Amino acid sequence: MSGTRRVLVTGASGLLGGRLASRLEADPAIERIVAVGTRPPSVDLQRTDFLRADIRHSAIARLVRTLELDTVVHTGLILDPQRVTAHAAHETNVIGTMNLIAACGGSDSPVCKLIVASSTAIYGAEPADPSLWSESMPRAVPARDPFTRDIDEVESYVAAFAQRVPAAVVTVLRFADMLGRSRTTTFARLFDLPVVPTVFGFDPRLQFVHEDDCVAVLEHAVTHDRPGTFNVAGSGVVVLSQAISMLHRRGAPVIPFVASGPAMFVLNRMRSPGSPPLALPAHIVRLLRFGRGVDTTALRDVFGASLRYTTAEAVVDRGAHRSGRERRDSGARGDDEESLERFIETRTAAWNGHHTPASRRRAGARA
Amino acid sequence: MSSAPPRADSAAESDGWPGRRMLDDLRTQLPMAAMTATGTLAMRLRDLTGRDVIDLESLQELVSLVYRISDVSSSHRAGRYTVDDFGFDPEFTEALMPIFHLIYRKYWRVETFGAEVLPERGGALLVSNHAGVLPWDGAMIKVAVFEAVERHARALVASWFGSLPTLSWLLRRTGQTNGHPDDSLRLLRRRELVLVFPEGVRGTGKPFSERYKLRRFGRGGFVEVALRAGVPIIPISVVGSEEIHPMLADLRPVARMLGLPYFPVTPTWPLLGPLGLVPLPSRWRIRFHPMVRTDERDPGEADDPAHVMRISDQVRDVIQDGLTLDLAERGGVFRG
Repeated sequence: MSGTRRVLVTGASGLLGGRLASRLEADPAIERIVAVGTRPPSVDLQRTDFLRADIRHSAIARLVRTLELDTVVHTGLILDPQRVTAHAAHETNVIGTMNLIAACGGSDSPVCKLIVASSTAIYGAEPADPSLWSESMPRAVPARDPFTRDIDEVESYVAAFAQRVPAAVVTVLRFADMLGRSRTTTFARLFDLPVVPTVFGFDPRLQFVHEDDCVAVLEHAVTHDRPGTFNVAGSGVVVLSQAISMLHRRGAPVIPFVASGPAMFVLNRMRSPGSPPLALPAHIVRLLRFGRGVDTTALRDVFGASLRYTTAEAVVDRGAHRSGRERRDSGARGDDEESLERFIETRTAAWNGHHTPASRRRAGARA
Repeated sequence: MSSAPPRADSAAESDGWPGRRMLDDLRTQLPMAAMTATGTLAMRLRDLTGRDVIDLESLQELVSLVYRISDVSSSHRAGRYTVDDFGFDPEFTEALMPIFHLIYRKYWRVETFGAEVLPERGGALLVSNHAGVLPWDGAMIKVAVFEAVERHARALVASWFGSLPTLSWLLRRTGQTNGHPDDSLRLLRRRELVLVFPEGVRGTGKPFSERYKLRRFGRGGFVEVALRAGVPIIPISVVGSEEIHPMLADLRPVARMLGLPYFPVTPTWPLLGPLGLVPLPSRWRIRFHPMVRTDERDPGEADDPAHVMRISDQVRDVIQDGLTLDLAERGGVFRG
């Protein structure tokens, strides 16, 4: 067992951070949980102290020292960079991580464990790639897009920290593309479209990991000492066309395989009524062409996690959530996003004991 | 030979449009009707002319192909199939097999020798010469292996194919993967038959005047892989592949412009356009040679380059001798 007592969770407003914090609350061995995020967390937290803060702020170093936090779980990386610009993603991913790791380092730092939620996107997607990536295999070509470059940089900071502080347990979890309840992950958004755009003449192998499994793996990393880098993906692969049929969707080969840049410029600005524009980042377009598979032997044998969902099961589960939502929607078509936002705002208000100016303004407008 | 069990939503679809059911019925019954009609016609013609005008056996194969493809495609439409980690779908591959089988038997009239060395189970590295501009030899070896032991040989192809539309997924779906050393090692450790062409594009892209002269066998990487995985090597010599697209010249500047490893000029290509892609009907011989027992050696030998090159040369000599033998025995290139 590990000596984890006081945990800092970054990215608490994201898909994984909030849910991880709520799971850790149930563990009596963990004395204190501090969660930071730029927006209120998406789940109801009981004994977690939530702080609305940016990890780029130098106060994080003071926070870690004052509260004597021994474990830092960094789930604050933007792994689905669609709703933000490449610049904003870079700020959060690279600069944020740099600051966080600086906060964890130093001789006076109480941090003895660092867990980072990274992405299998770090392997890139090339025709000459091995069919399955092991954690130790280096990419043959330099990163081709800003996102992959950022993840590269993030992991190099983490590796440097591990080298500088050999006593610390450093775990890097490379998550495959996530599917589950959330509608905001890259592939959830892609599969929710009326027609799924594919690259003409290509049908890549893909791997998915269920959100529930991601949270469970993060929790396992907190409660056990598992230094190293691990691929986290549901076992097996599906090909894109198969995933599309499993979800009873239709694909359209609208992305050309040559000059896909200009085509994506147009496609990325297209939107179906009531949804944000497609905005597929470059690394996803390459993935839709060449696909990717990772070896998860180390996750099973060294890390010691067995995932509940295979890749195919994660796709099927996504379909179940989707059709469930459609059934609910068919009664009264409300704006989901807005109601969710309202829900979150009231929750924040209840927490803080007062309305934030923005929410008061909006409540006034509605009344 | 019924199609897959009806899906809940397919019933809903046919309810949606009245003509749909009729069309579905027609689609399932048409091949049978066509076969009966052609069968009757074949009998009549035989009675009239006194010989087989229509080959009933090939006809039957074609019909079964149509059925299997419609069978597989209906289960594939629902996404109910699995591909392995490399993207291989055995069901899909076996549905396509009759086409290649027909080409194998009727077009190139392939004769196979020594297939009894192929193991019923367990991994082995199949090593063959490579020729003929387009990799038809790989397809024909796969048919020969499937005929002998009902196993799918997993060929390693140039990574360049992965960047081509359609071929990129079609090759993977039918069991091929990228020629990455890690891939071959993984497949062999999963006890698969792995097919490699150590000559690579140097073999397929050689001029017709140098036919059946083996090129360098890479740097012996295939021997290293076999030693590490602890599997035997089975050398294969293929005669006939060199004549399917006799390469008279290689337009290097054009190749460089298109990003191809070579741009061949054959008697029919590019002169006749797409028709030039049709390979010539040479007669083929595929010979499987006795195993080279790399499985009985110490895996540590993979780190000794001198040793690796010695085994590589041994395999190359076996294949070259096989080619010389079969060339002499085949007689005419096209008839005989």
